[in-house]
Amino acid sequence: MKYIRLVLKSARRSKRRTVLTTLSVALAVFLFAALRAVLDGFTAVSQASSATRLVTIRSTSMIFSMPLSHGETIRSTPGVEDVTWANWFGGIYKDPKNFFGQFAIDPESYLRMYPEVLLTDGERSAFLADRTGCIVGDGLARKYGFKLDDRIVLQPGIPVYGTQDYTFTVRGIYRTASSAVDNQSMMFHWKYIDERSLVKGEVGWYVTRVANPDKAAQLATLIDQKFANSPYETKTDTEQAFSAQFVSMLGNLNLLLGSVALAVVLTTLFVAGNTMAMSVRERTTEIAVMRTLGFPSGTIFLLVVGEGLLVALVGGGLGAVIARTLVNGEALGLTGGFIPPFGVSNWNLAVGLALSAFIGIVAAVIPATMASRLKIVDALRRVA
Amino acid sequence: MALIELRGVTKAYRRDAIEIPVLDDVSMNVDEGDFLGLMGPSGSGKSTLLNLLAGIDRPTRGAILIGGTDITKLGERALAGWRSRHIGFIFQLYNLIPVLTAYENVELPLLLTHLSRADRRDHVMTALDIVGLTERAKHYPRQLSGGQEQRVAIARAIVTDPTLLLADEPTGDLDAKSAADILSLLQRLNTEYKKTIVMVTHDPHAAERASHVVHLEKGTLISEVSA
Repeated sequence: MKYIRLVLKSARRSKRRTVLTTLSVALAVFLFAALRAVLDGFTAVSQASSATRLVTIRSTSMIFSMPLSHGETIRSTPGVEDVTWANWFGGIYKDPKNFFGQFAIDPESYLRMYPEVLLTDGERSAFLADRTGCIVGDGLARKYGFKLDDRIVLQPGIPVYGTQDYTFTVRGIYRTASSAVDNQSMMFHWKYIDERSLVKGEVGWYVTRVANPDKAAQLATLIDQKFANSPYETKTDTEQAFSAQFVSMLGNLNLLLGSVALAVVLTTLFVAGNTMAMSVRERTTEIAVMRTLGFPSGTIFLLVVGEGLLVALVGGGLGAVIARTLVNGEALGLTGGFIPPFGVSNWNLAVGLALSAFIGIVAAVIPATMASRLKIVDALRRVA
Repeated sequence: MALIELRGVTKAYRRDAIEIPVLDDVSMNVDEGDFLGLMGPSGSGKSTLLNLLAGIDRPTRGAILIGGTDITKLGERALAGWRSRHIGFIFQLYNLIPVLTAYENVELPLLLTHLSRADRRDHVMTALDIVGLTERAKHYPRQLSGGQEQRVAIARAIVTDPTLLLADEPTGDLDAKSAADILSLLQRLNTEYKKTIVMVTHDPHAAERASHVVHLEKGTLISEVSA
């Protein structure tokens, strides 16, 4: 404890340098925590995905649609309990920058299929009864200030839906009971969209509930076999695999974001190490004096490492606080209907702090070794 | 009784393949309570001899016994501990830690002891009182004059009540008035507090304050003069 004041005083020797080093560590921890939060968001979708739901898309790509008649074929497959379907609408709300998920769904079967979408009985009834009604996630409602009975006008973003605007009435604001469903989306009646679509009876994807999750893979194969050699061949996967594929459309995010985080941490490590080395070099005489006074080389080593650790932990703490405050997928509008709202978890904060401690210690080890191995006489002669 | 015994101390530095002799077979004794002045021209080896006495450098050959301990036989860690207990070192350029106050600079060697904070405070204030700087305890080195800085450095050197005080040109960077004050202070530490002092100087006026003066030339002890 008696050395703490010494470490604090040394860290304040060059305030500007200490502040800049602290900020660089803060930035590294902030970026690390933020990137981890995004990855966690994607991972949460896969983990929360149901084992009893299958997703069927066109075998060529999910951007191509399938006929509505596929639904009945799927329903007739043994082992299937329920089927629903949806389309990606891709409309524009006021400005193309206002991006969020918009899904045309078959309301009754969809809400049956996704009990995670929580609505009051009144909202549910109002939505089912109104062909131009819609429901919005509570996150989306907060973001754009949507309230019940508000009118939302969407301009079609995909040519097949024509050029006329679509007007919806907010009949419900849903909450989510699981990460498998995000709270940043808008859902409305598939029939309303289909009526005005230039190509009738087209479906983006089907979701099937299976009776026995152990036979989900077999059932997926069976469904796809039913449409084999047809103009609309399908590809069926578990919801979990589907979510993972969706994420993989954005590239190998894990590798990409992980690489960015690693690059940031390594850069900060070198910056902090260089700064510590400069700081120790400037203090050569002082260290020699302390050695002359009888400070053992081990104590000098620990004092320098302690200083590096202190600066890094302050920076890490700062970065963690900023990350916790600012990194919020919902507030930043980053979820867009693909991933649930995400934030920086306590675990990521703890890892971030441990990372800053690692940076502090590793960055200080070489300068600390230099300082502890200093030949007193040479160091004193260098300045005298 | 001899506090310091040098027996055939030789020191040579190696530069590439060439060995440069600095001290050549120096033998001498310094009694407890002496105030020894070490004189000689630049490069004569007087600072090297002082560094060897302080245990911050090692001789190539020979033995250095201080208070009966042959410090050439101590390992690095033991030597550091020995320095903290037995040596008070006064540098020409004071070498105070600029980010520490006068009080904290003087307290620095006490951090290596097991003294409580209160005891450390008593020791520091006593040392500052001896050098007449109690009112400057909270001042940083940059807020002190050269003479005051050197007095703080002396307080730091005596705060652990060491066996031996070593001063390397302690007045070399001071004006005449401050230098005289510092020399008076060292004399007082020798006569009043019975401190054994070895002082390197090239200033004959400074050497006059010592009770004995020895001359070094080209690494060899050439004369011993009683002041």
